[in-house]
Amino acid sequence: MSRTSPSRRGLLFGSAAVSAGALLTACTSNEPKQQAQPAGGTPAAADKPGQAVTIGFAGPQADHGWLNAINQNAKSRAATYPDVTLEITEGSNDTAAQIGQVQTLINKKVDVLVILPADGKALTQVGLQAMRAGIPVVNLDRVFASPQAYRCWIGGDNYGMGLNAGTYIGEQLKDKPNAKVVELAGLDNLELTRQRSQGFDDALKNYPNITKVARQAADFTVESGQAKMAQLLQAQPAFDALWKIDDDQGDGAVRAIAQAGRDDFLMVGGAGAKSAMDAIKAGTGVLKATVLYPPTMAASAIDLARALGQGKGVGGLAELEIPSSLTLYSAVVTKENVDDYLPTGFN
Amino acid sequence: MTQPASAARKDAPTSAATPDTGRKGTRRPALVRWDVRSLSLLGVLVALVVVGGVTQPDSFLATSNLQLVLTQASVIGVVTVGMTFVITSGGIDLSVGAIVALASVWATTVATQEFGFAGILFTAVLVGVGCGLVNGLLIAYGGMVPFIATLAMLASARGLALQITDGRTQMVTVTEVLDLGVKDAYVLGVPPLVLVFAAVTVVGWLLLNRTTFGRRTVAVGGNAEAARLAGIDVRRQRLYLYLLSGLCCGIAAFLLIVLAGSGQNTNGNLYELDAIAAAIIGGTLLSGGRGTIVGSVLGVLIFTTITNIFALNNLETAVQQIAKGAIIVAAVLVQRRTLRGGDA
Amino acid sequence: MASRPPLLTMNRITKSFPGVRALDGVDLEVHAGEVHCLLGQNGAGKSTLIKVLAGAHRPDDGEITWAGEPVSLSSPIAAMRLGIATIYQELDLVGGLSVAENVFLGNEPTSAGFVVRGGRARAAAGRLLERLGHPEIDPARLVGELSAAQQQIVSMARALSHEVRLIVMDEPSAALDPDEVDNLFRIVGELTADGVAVVYISHRLEEIRRIGDRVTVLKDGRSVAGGLPADTTPTRDIVSLMTGRTVEHVFPDRPPGAAAARDPVLRVEGLTRDGEFAPLDLELRLVETVGLAGLLGSGRSEILETVYGARRPDAGRVLVDGVPLRPGSVRAAVRAGIGLAPEERKAQALLMLESVGGNVSVSTLSRYSRAGWLDRRAERAAAHRAVRELSLRPDDPDAAIRTLSGGNQQKVVLARWLLRGCKLLLLDEPTRGVDIGARAELYAVIRRLADEGLAVLLVSSEVPEVLGLADRVLVLREGSVVHTAPARELDEHRVLDLVMEGNPTP
Repeated sequence: MSRTSPSRRGLLFGSAAVSAGALLTACTSNEPKQQAQPAGGTPAAADKPGQAVTIGFAGPQADHGWLNAINQNAKSRAATYPDVTLEITEGSNDTAAQIGQVQTLINKKVDVLVILPADGKALTQVGLQAMRAGIPVVNLDRVFASPQAYRCWIGGDNYGMGLNAGTYIGEQLKDKPNAKVVELAGLDNLELTRQRSQGFDDALKNYPNITKVARQAADFTVESGQAKMAQLLQAQPAFDALWKIDDDQGDGAVRAIAQAGRDDFLMVGGAGAKSAMDAIKAGTGVLKATVLYPPTMAASAIDLARALGQGKGVGGLAELEIPSSLTLYSAVVTKENVDDYLPTGFN
Repeated sequence: MTQPASAARKDAPTSAATPDTGRKGTRRPALVRWDVRSLSLLGVLVALVVVGGVTQPDSFLATSNLQLVLTQASVIGVVTVGMTFVITSGGIDLSVGAIVALASVWATTVATQEFGFAGILFTAVLVGVGCGLVNGLLIAYGGMVPFIATLAMLASARGLALQITDGRTQMVTVTEVLDLGVKDAYVLGVPPLVLVFAAVTVVGWLLLNRTTFGRRTVAVGGNAEAARLAGIDVRRQRLYLYLLSGLCCGIAAFLLIVLAGSGQNTNGNLYELDAIAAAIIGGTLLSGGRGTIVGSVLGVLIFTTITNIFALNNLETAVQQIAKGAIIVAAVLVQRRTLRGGDA
Repeated sequence: MASRPPLLTMNRITKSFPGVRALDGVDLEVHAGEVHCLLGQNGAGKSTLIKVLAGAHRPDDGEITWAGEPVSLSSPIAAMRLGIATIYQELDLVGGLSVAENVFLGNEPTSAGFVVRGGRARAAAGRLLERLGHPEIDPARLVGELSAAQQQIVSMARALSHEVRLIVMDEPSAALDPDEVDNLFRIVGELTADGVAVVYISHRLEEIRRIGDRVTVLKDGRSVAGGLPADTTPTRDIVSLMTGRTVEHVFPDRPPGAAAARDPVLRVEGLTRDGEFAPLDLELRLVETVGLAGLLGSGRSEILETVYGARRPDAGRVLVDGVPLRPGSVRAAVRAGIGLAPEERKAQALLMLESVGGNVSVSTLSRYSRAGWLDRRAERAAAHRAVRELSLRPDDPDAAIRTLSGGNQQKVVLARWLLRGCKLLLLDEPTRGVDIGARAELYAVIRRLADEGLAVLLVSSEVPEVLGLADRVLVLREGSVVHTAPARELDEHRVLDLVMEGNPTP
């Protein structure tokens, strides 16, 4: 809940930068008097080099398309700054191993830490440790249990994702009496799955003609997506819309739908994989839209870390300091705006 | 000699020496035991079908649902057939899930896909057999304990799969492969994947029950030392067994590629546990020396049917897991109960 | 002793298992301070009776009186409380625990009821072992590292760690060498002198003669004779009571020199395994039976297993029909026509979950198969023929091997090699765990096989068995052959002398 508490859409910075498909580069500046670069994906190199910063980056094992994109975004972003050295650790899903990796980075005395914890709560202590050692921590996406453990949190909006997906579906179906909706959720063990489902349900409440008739939880793999979707299709001979919470497991769901030969409903995806965006652009399948959970947040995190290391604020805002919390907007990508987002789609 | 449990039974053969009556009298228990075992499993399956039919009469009893259940059972079913052989021989293969992952990933790289259908099938099978060969060599000739050798394979195969994919999902673009999974490809209403599963089952049953290979597998599992002293090449037999398991994993990986339309390093997650559980519930002895393909396949079908019923009834994941555990225990208890009755 | 009331009286004990009536009216009377021997063939009900005594089985009917009081032995703990201890033949020790821990398992000396006093346990175990004449066994050692004989001593120490008034010993001498048997008898003597009663089960009649006071014979779940004097009852009577038929010849006669004219089938040249046996030369002809006599650890079993390829020799070679075998290869030996009936039948020869037929055919599978495909009818027929030839009872290839007696299980192993058509049969302790009635029959089978053209190499710790079956005897001591002679020129005494003293012949 602490993750969703920072005002969901209020941050002009986050929504503007991301919805424009641009990256944070444009918003950090060397000197106060210099103009911020205009948004629109201008290369970071245009930003003048400043004091050298070593950024330590610790993330989970990249065993999923989205996590892989996180690593890629962080690496390529850091590479664009001549004044940034990135110390990136081997990704690990094991809490103990990740704690060890962060401690190693602390001992190496990096200037700033960017941590995407395998488990937010479990890594809180090591976040505190770093902060006490005078190393500012940028907490990426999975939030620590205590705000003292990070200087700045930046992450996606799981609740907003569900909310926007539900609202999109609601608008499409609002004139259809007794519309039925189905949800293919992710791992129920994860809080983010619960948040996404909650947002989705809350949005649907605004449309009394729509009922969610079934929900099954897969585990973020293609294989489970196929299996669960096949069962859902068997259980529900007719429905109007489907939200699949994650594009990776959604690939499996797409297979199951093709194998069952069904095309009598509209589908909304989640996360923003390139394959999903391509399908939306083609417009021939059931996939009509996807709700973003942008992996570009890792690039932004590098920007924030660099700014913290160099003692700067964020351009385009009146604040002298970097905000303590940034929640990114989960934009709905449809055929109309897909071209803007295609560059951010991940494999 | 005077082993506790058999002490009482020894009276019959030593004192009642008339061969003709003796034959039928002693044969029946063995036969009855097998029938009771499979029958009780069949009973569990029938009970599940009744539950499914009552709760969701329209969707559960439809032909399309039968096709669905069998299709979903195919991948893990093929793996379980291989696993049954390994367990019957007194071994264990923890690496099946990882091998399926690696084979599915290797067979769906851009380079492999250029060779089309045959390239994907061939690569999947070859990777499976290759991993099985490594397992077999380590265990049979390297003297490693199966648990450890296949655990090492599990770790390395998963790692290699991750390295190949870099965590990305590799979509299949070869339409001939994808088309195998859709309705148009069904043969007289039977999905091709189910045909493969059925073929593997039949071949596995014949191999275990009708060939010297099967008999030697049982002998190695029942008493490896006795098998060695009887002149059986125990090591070569073990090598073949892990090769066979690897082959099954390769076939399963291909089925999974057809089903999921992609290769992913997370494929085959925890298959090892599902396959072992299905085999044991089916009546294969974890300590080796006895194995049943029919039982294993029934075990897989029970698992798949449970999942299907839960999904059709839109149950939550938490409830599903609790009920699944309870049903496993119930199935084994029912079996033991009926077995004890049949033993007398 | 008869003046006092008996310590234990069992009256008309019956016990049925599904399909089998294991005990059908057994009477047993045991006095304090006596060695009461229990005799009977396998399946006669001895094991069930012991289990009833130990509280492991509850009888269906019958009365048990203990020191004049009626009691019910409802559980092993109840029996233990009365002072009944049982030493099972299949040792029930935990290999991963120390000697002391095994001795006091479930009965550990503790502080405050749960803190195990390891030191006190070790000291007490040490005293018990000393009393048993084995002070060299370290109470701190793991039981799994001990020899079978030492484990037997530990079992006995465990029995004596309780306040004990009656000890049941199930074939305690089966795994022991003669000097260890002497030690066992000394212990039994001390126990009875203290007024402890011993129920002693053995297949060896000579032991019963030596230490037994009285004998009860069981047959088919009934006690057919009770309280016979152990030292004077004629063997012939005991055997006929056990088997229900009279035994004419235990060892079938055989004319000398039958083998001389036949071809040598096995030649062993300088076969050696360091630390196990010295270079051995041996020639064996068809129809000939050669016996290896020696104590446990004299290298006798090791020689058999090395000839068979189950152990790799350090030097020397084995030739069959003049062709040397690949060393250390069981498959080569089997292909050349050698078959082994190992000492540990259950562990080394039998597939206990399989049928009789499956056990018989396991070495000849490829004979009933084409391209790996089994012709099960042919397999079954061949197995049936082989077991019928050895008069297995029942001669049913579909019977479960578990249900067979020891003698019949041994026949199954022999049938396996008979079917294989082997030329040379290696027999390691062929009658271990086989009762007297069935032994005679097994001897006849072995002799018949030899007469029909097989060569047999036999190892046995029972000297009369070696002398009765073999044409020629090699006496082994500490890995070396100390004497070779035709069996008819030796007697039991002479062999035992050689085995123990060793009097090397050039």
